Amino acid sequence: MDIFNMLLQGFLVSIIPGNLLACTIGVIIGTLVGVLPGIDTVSAIALLLPFSYGMDSTAALIMFAGIYYGSKYGGSTTSILINVPGEAASVVTCLDGYPMAQKGRAGAALSVSAIGSFVAGSIGIIGLTLLAPPLAQAALAFGPPEYFSISLVGLIFLSKLTGTSTLKSALMAAVGVMLSTVGLDSLSGISRFSFGIDELDRGFDLSILAMGMFGIGEILTTMTQLNTKTNIPSINFKDLYPTKEEWRRSIVPMFRGGIVGFLVGLLPGPAATISSYLSYALEKRCSKNPNEFGCGAIEGVAGPESANNSAISATMIPLLSLGLPFCGATAILLSGFMIHGITPGPGLITEQPALFWGLIASMYIGNVLLLIINLPLIGVFVQLLKTPLNILMPLVAALTLTGAYSINNSILDLMWIVIFGILGFLLRRTGFEPSPLIIGLVLGSGLERGLTQGLIICNGSILAMITRPISAIILSLGALALFYSVAKWISRINCAGKKANC
Amino acid sequence: MQKKLLIFLITCLFILSILLGGCTNLQNKTVTTAKRYPDKPITFIVPFGVGGGTDLVARLLEKTAPVHLGQPLVIINKPGASGTLGWNELASANPDGYTIGITGTELLLQPLYGPAKYHYPTALEPLAQIVSLSMVMAVQSGQPWQTVDDLIAYAREHPGEIKYGHTGVGGLGHVAGEAFAKTANIHLEQVPFQSGAEATASLLGGHVHVVFLNPASIKEHMKSGMVRVLAVSGEQRLTDSVYTSVPTFKEQGLNVVYDNWYAVAAPKGLPLEVKNKLVDGLKTMINDPEFQKKIEQLGLQVNYLGPKESEERWLSDSEKLSKTVQETGILDKIKEQKK
Repeated sequence: MDIFNMLLQGFLVSIIPGNLLACTIGVIIGTLVGVLPGIDTVSAIALLLPFSYGMDSTAALIMFAGIYYGSKYGGSTTSILINVPGEAASVVTCLDGYPMAQKGRAGAALSVSAIGSFVAGSIGIIGLTLLAPPLAQAALAFGPPEYFSISLVGLIFLSKLTGTSTLKSALMAAVGVMLSTVGLDSLSGISRFSFGIDELDRGFDLSILAMGMFGIGEILTTMTQLNTKTNIPSINFKDLYPTKEEWRRSIVPMFRGGIVGFLVGLLPGPAATISSYLSYALEKRCSKNPNEFGCGAIEGVAGPESANNSAISATMIPLLSLGLPFCGATAILLSGFMIHGITPGPGLITEQPALFWGLIASMYIGNVLLLIINLPLIGVFVQLLKTPLNILMPLVAALTLTGAYSINNSILDLMWIVIFGILGFLLRRTGFEPSPLIIGLVLGSGLERGLTQGLIICNGSILAMITRPISAIILSLGALALFYSVAKWISRINCAGKKANC
Repeated sequence: MQKKLLIFLITCLFILSILLGGCTNLQNKTVTTAKRYPDKPITFIVPFGVGGGTDLVARLLEKTAPVHLGQPLVIINKPGASGTLGWNELASANPDGYTIGITGTELLLQPLYGPAKYHYPTALEPLAQIVSLSMVMAVQSGQPWQTVDDLIAYAREHPGEIKYGHTGVGGLGHVAGEAFAKTANIHLEQVPFQSGAEATASLLGGHVHVVFLNPASIKEHMKSGMVRVLAVSGEQRLTDSVYTSVPTFKEQGLNVVYDNWYAVAAPKGLPLEVKNKLVDGLKTMINDPEFQKKIEQLGLQVNYLGPKESEERWLSDSEKLSKTVQETGILDKIKEQKK
C-alpha cells in the first residue's frame, strides 16, 4: 500500500499546473520529434536543454521524460504512411504498416500503433512503479558473457524477418556485423577499416544507417516510380479506425509486445530498436498464418509499436534506480537531470520522493495525453497521403538530412546517409531486404564486445563463458529453437520427397 | 556588338568592385572585430558525446556565458576517436575567438600513441582550467578488501584473477590502473568498457572486481554503500564529503598520482585583446560560487588555473604521462597492435 500512497503523492505533484504544462509541452515536442523523420531524440533534448535552465527542476525533468517517451509514439507515422521510418525503432513497422496503408488501412494501422503504444507504455510504467529496484538489481546479473549470448541468439533469430530467402537475410546480417566492426576497437584502441579517414573512427551510427537505407532508399524508389501515381484509395471516416476483426487480432500482440519490450529495455543497448525486431519475430512465430506477414498483417504493427514503448519505460529503471544510463537517449536524460542538480541513483527514491514519484505519475498522465493527442491526428496524417509525392518526398529528404546532420554535426554523415540510401535502393531492387543489416549492426558490436570482455573475465576460456548459468540458459534456449526449426525443415523435405516417390 | 561590350565592361566593373570591397572589408575586419568582440555567439566544441563529464561542464558554462562573456555559447558535440575529431576541428578553426572548446587529459595522451593530425598541446592554447579530479579505485562493498594492501596481498596470492574495468584503452583510468599494478608489483587484467556506466554496472554485478573511474561516476553508489573506494589517485584527498575519508595512494605508500582535468582552450594565435576578454570572462564564470556549487553537485572539484599555469601543467603532465605509458608497456601494446 505504501507504493500507492507515494504514487498518490506523486500525482499531487504532477498535477500542479506548471508541471502539467511541462508534461504537455514535452509530449507534444516528443510526438513531433517522432513524426519528423531523421530528427533524433538525443539531439532534440540536447537542443532544448538551454531552454530549461530557467525552469523548476521537477518541471524540466517531466518535460524531458515527456519528449523521450513521446518520441516513440510518433515514430510509426511516417513508417506506415510513406515507408520512411521516423526513428530507428520504427524500421520494423514499415514491413507491415506500409502494405496496410497501400490497402487503404493506413488509419487502422495508425490507430492500432497509437493504442498499442498506450497499452504497452502503461505496462512499462506499472512495471517501473512496482518493480524498479529489484529489476535493476536483476539486470546487473547480466555481464559481458551474457550480452554475448543474447546477441548471438538474437542474430540467429532476428535476421530472418521477411519472407525472402534465408541465405539472403543471413548475408545481410553478416554485412551488418561487418559494418559494426568499423571504427575504434575498444580492446586495443586502434582504428579498424577507417582507411585513414578520421571520422570513420566513430563507426557507423545506427540512425544514419537506418535513415539512409530506409528513408533515402525509399525516396529513391518512389522517384523511379513517378508514373504509378495515386493508387491510394480514398478513405472514408469510418475507415480511419480498426474493424472489430482487426481489434481482435491486435489485442494479444499489444500485451505480448509490451512484456517483451519491457524485458529488453532493462538491458544495455538500443532497447527500443531491438525490442521491436524481437516482437515482430515473436508475432510471426505465434501467428496462425505467418505468410501474411510482410503483406500487411496488423499484428506486425501492433506488436513492435507496443514493444518499443514499453522498452522506453523500462530503460528508465536502471537510470532512475541505479543512475546508470544504458543507451544514448537515457544518457542525455541523465545529463538533463544532473544540470538541474539531481543525481539519479540508489538514493533518489528515498532522498527526493516527491520528485521521483512526481516524475512517475507524470508518465501516467503523459501517456494518456499522448493518446488524446495522437488519435485525432490520425485523420490529419492520413490526409497527408493526398499530397503529391513529388512535393512530399523532397520535404522528407530535407528533413532526414537535417536530422542526420544534427546527430554528430558531421558533414561526412550526410555523405554516408546518401551512400546508404543508394545502397538500400539497389539492395531492394535486387531482392535483398535491408532490415537484417540493421539488426546485424545493432547486435554486432554487442557480440564482439561481449566476447572480448567476457573472455578476459573468464580467463580466456570460452567454455567458462557459455556455462555461466544465465548465459547457458539463453544459449540452450537458442539451440533448442534452432533444433526445432531444423527438424521441421528436414521433415518437410522428407514429406516432399515421399510425395514425389508416390 | 557595342551593347555586348558594354554589358561585359559593367560586369567586370561590378566584380572588381565586389572584390575590392571584399578585400578592404576583410582588412578592417580583424581590427574592428577584436575591438567589438564578441558580437556574435561563440561556438563551443565538446569533443565527446552528450551526457559525458565534459559535456555537463560545458553546459554549466553555457548557463552563465551570456552574462560574463556578453554572448551565448553554442555547444556542438563532435564525439569520436577519444576526442581527437573535435580537437582537430578546434585546432583548424579560425583563431578569432568565436570557436573555443573543452579539453581533457586525453589531449595529452592521444598524441603519445601515434601520429595525430595536430600536436594538440602546441596547436591549442589553454584559456582556463575548470576542474581537476583524481581517479578513484573502487571495489564492490561485498568484497573482503578494506585497504589497498588487502587487495595487493590477494592479487599476489591469486595472480591473474583480479580484473579491473576502465573506460577506454589508453585513457587515464587505464593508465592509472597499469601504473598501480606496476608500482605494487602485481598483475591485473584490464577490461575496457564503453562508458563509466557500463563499467559501474559490471562492477555492481560482480563481473569485474575493481574499477578505475572518475569519482562522479560512482558517487551515488558510494553514498548508498554499494561500492567501497579504496584509494584516490590525487596528490591530496578529494574534498567532496562522500570521499573525504578515502586515503590517497600516496598515503598508502604507493606513488600513483594521476589527475584528470578539464580546461577551456582555443586555437593558437588569438588576438591578445580577444584572449584577454575570454580569459577574464571565464575566470569570473568559474569562480562564481553558484557555478562551483553546481560542479560539486556533479561530483567534480573546481580548480581554476589561468592560461599560463594551465600551459605549464600541460607540459609537466605530458612529460609524466609519456614516461608512464612507456614504463607500463601500454605504449608498446598499442604500437604492436597498430602494426
